[in-house]
Amino acid sequence: MIDPTVTPVQTSVYSLGALFFQFLNSFGFIVLATVGLAIIFGMMGVINLAHGEFILIGVYGTALPYHAGVPLPLAMVIGVLVTTVFGVIIERTVVRHFYDRLLDSMVATWGLSLVVAQLLLIIFGSSLDSISTPLGNVRYGPFSSSVYRSILLPMIAILVLVGLYVLFTRTEFGIKARATIKDPETARAMGIDTDRMYVVTFAIGSALAGLTGALSAPSLGSITPNRGGTFLVEAFVAVVVGGPSVIVGTLSASGILSIFNATGSFFVDTFFGQMLMLLVAIVALRVLPNGITGYVDSWRQRRRAEQ
Amino acid sequence: MSETAPTEGIATRVRRALEGPNTLGNSTPFWVGFVAAVVALAAYPQVTDPYTALQTSRYFALAFLAISLSFIWGYSGVLSFGQVVFFGVSAYTFGIIGINFASTAGATAALFGAVAVGTVAAALLGYFMFYGGVRDVYVTILTLVVALVLNTFMGQTAGSEWAIGTARLGGFNGMTNIPKLTLGVGDASIVFQTVGFYYAALVALVGTYLGLRVLLNSSFGMTMVAVREDEERTAMFGYNVPFIKLVVFTIGGGLAALGGVFYATWGNYVDPSVFSIGFAALPVVWVSIGGRESLLGAIGATLLIERMRTGLSSGIGPIGSEWALVIVGGLLLGVILFMPAGIAPTLNDLKDELLERRSSRSPASSPTEDSVK
Amino acid sequence: MITPQDINARQKPATAATGSGTKAILATRQLTKNFGGLTAVDDVDFEVNEGEIRCLIGPNGAGKSTLLNLITGRLSPSEGDIYFDGTDLTGLEPHDRIDTGLSVKFQSPHVFENLSVKRNLQVPLQRTDRDAERVMAETLEQISLVEQADTPAGDLSHGQQQRLEIGMAITLDPTLMLLDEPVAGMSVDETADVADLINSLHDDGMAFLVVEHDMEFVREISEKVTVLNQGAVFRQGTIEEIEADEAVRRIYLGEDT
Repeated sequence: MIDPTVTPVQTSVYSLGALFFQFLNSFGFIVLATVGLAIIFGMMGVINLAHGEFILIGVYGTALPYHAGVPLPLAMVIGVLVTTVFGVIIERTVVRHFYDRLLDSMVATWGLSLVVAQLLLIIFGSSLDSISTPLGNVRYGPFSSSVYRSILLPMIAILVLVGLYVLFTRTEFGIKARATIKDPETARAMGIDTDRMYVVTFAIGSALAGLTGALSAPSLGSITPNRGGTFLVEAFVAVVVGGPSVIVGTLSASGILSIFNATGSFFVDTFFGQMLMLLVAIVALRVLPNGITGYVDSWRQRRRAEQ
Repeated sequence: MSETAPTEGIATRVRRALEGPNTLGNSTPFWVGFVAAVVALAAYPQVTDPYTALQTSRYFALAFLAISLSFIWGYSGVLSFGQVVFFGVSAYTFGIIGINFASTAGATAALFGAVAVGTVAAALLGYFMFYGGVRDVYVTILTLVVALVLNTFMGQTAGSEWAIGTARLGGFNGMTNIPKLTLGVGDASIVFQTVGFYYAALVALVGTYLGLRVLLNSSFGMTMVAVREDEERTAMFGYNVPFIKLVVFTIGGGLAALGGVFYATWGNYVDPSVFSIGFAALPVVWVSIGGRESLLGAIGATLLIERMRTGLSSGIGPIGSEWALVIVGGLLLGVILFMPAGIAPTLNDLKDELLERRSSRSPASSPTEDSVK
Repeated sequence: MITPQDINARQKPATAATGSGTKAILATRQLTKNFGGLTAVDDVDFEVNEGEIRCLIGPNGAGKSTLLNLITGRLSPSEGDIYFDGTDLTGLEPHDRIDTGLSVKFQSPHVFENLSVKRNLQVPLQRTDRDAERVMAETLEQISLVEQADTPAGDLSHGQQQRLEIGMAITLDPTLMLLDEPVAGMSVDETADVADLINSLHDDGMAFLVVEHDMEFVREISEKVTVLNQGAVFRQGTIEEIEADEAVRRIYLGEDT
């Protein structure tokens, strides 16, 4: 692969480029996977260990219509819708019993994840045909990166974060939601229907999971139901490392984990990248016992007290 | 509550050590039932074929994993997804020592070495977490991540350069040719296989169970429960809470490590799937269903659930194991929704209520512990 | 005529006879705690003598709870030292400080709600060498919870839970008991019972440092009272002296006395 017309400097620049695109690839996916889980955790004190399976439903909800002839964008919309409906049903039947029962919610949703993953396996078999990745590749020097995975997905991820920021800070819904997060008792006393808040928020979290699945579907290669676990781990780790703030936490945790994931994968192999990312998570959990934004919060409080 | 005159002193003293408010089952009928169950389990291999006995002994190995989690989670409030770490590390260590020192003495040394390594690993991780102020859900996720790191690491050890001495780690394909469970040196040694292995595992399990009962009903058990209920208040009575959690976690690791030895010697094989998220969650499943604060509940759930899973997958093929997990998932959901403490404690409470009603005592608020002398 | 200077003046610690031993069991020297720009505890020199009942009063925000937290070790001082029974507590973890002879009861009840009253008492009791059965029976009597021995602590009333927690704290047989608003939320009768309990324990030699707002209760039990204001020691003296002090009344600005 050594092209004699390319100088060493050019190769390093190309390498940096490749590393950067790998980072964006990882970052985009982790942000999308994480933010749905983070909203639910931040709002309701519930950890949905079936989140990976929610994403899977988004994948299957997209792949099945696509393979039945529906154009990809529409299939993606279907994927998101299916996941959202599923999420609402689950919230009303299962999750609502576990608000602020964190450990119990984890166990219950793990049970759910077993049921969903196995049912998908039973009904649809061990794999679905893959969806080819749209938009092709961009070439630079000896490297090439997928436009879809390394450019479009991260862009959509950022858009989603921006959209959520606007939703939570500029809309009436967002303000009510934040009041409910901060102090449900007071929120109720102020007339906010916290029950409805929870359903809607869980629906948003499910929709985001569905979106993650829908968008990932064309980049997975063959589609298998055991992927749920991988989706879950990265999201779960990022949520906890990120800390209580949904947007900043997701952004910072995804960023840091992706840097190490991408660097490790690029310079050694994907195993190493994965391990490096997990080891960084361990260090982060030990050093920042309340996550990144938890640390930022207490730092901010100290600054404020000094003024 | 006296036994026959000559053994009165010993029997009541033994029972006093074994009984207390931290364990369900403090009555004579309980012990009668318990002995009957143990006898039945002991007789089982005699009435069935060696293959079935061997299958069942695998469940005994897994039961150690369950009681290790019940011990640290049910009794001390530490939900760990990482018990499989010590289970797997112990299994691999047994293989490494046993393969490198291929003799009866070597296999015996492997047994002690593996449990020691697993226990030390737990002590190290416990120190890292509890003395670093890691708490609650962060402990849960940290232990899970450690398991996954091992899963990833061991999965890529396929090459022949990945060997310790003559023991190849084997990557995804796992470590093979792990020696059998052995105790002793040279001619003065026993090799436990098939039915012998079954009895070794059963004896170890029952012995461990009884030992844990004594520990849990001692003042240390009381301390564990206090830490679970309210850490800060307990610290303000002078208890060194991080140290207590470290000790509890280390003991839990030792229990898991013991299970790991039986697991490795059961199939003479171990692979990185013991560190996978699916396997890491299994102890949580067994203990949640069987009973968090109930060793017997945890053991019982493990035996029954794993028996069901094996039965379904061998009965109707691969789709059987898939349906088995659907059932397990559904069971888990159902139990958490309707019997959050687990089946054994809930049934026990029901039994207490029924007994109370029958003896028509005044319906005061029901006591939280069994009546003890 | 009270001048602003009087109100801001700091008193030197009283050295008058305290009614019990004059050896200081607890002493703070120049104890200060800053939170960023806020000084919660300000250069406090303060002593509790052996076997004495000392009440700590002051308006909200005066730093009473912070002072208690510094003594127990939940907070570290910005400056200054704390000595207990001759031992410098600096750097000691809370659980090690308890072992030197301290015992604490928090403001809100922190009992083990799922455990019975008896088992609640067992937790601190098993740390001591005392005769468990005797002390258990004695303590249940003292806190009037004999009937409720097997009741889960979570089923008790607020006042009962407060009494239980006091009971738990005294099973350690401490040299000094720290009580943070022990009769908050209690009825008049319950308050009187707790006052009797404290006085009888005091007769047996136990020292107390009590943070309280209920002046009736303070009158029942105190020998010496220390008034904190804005983190500093404002006045010290007997309860009569304090209640007669105009400046003290002023700093409360109309709060209940």
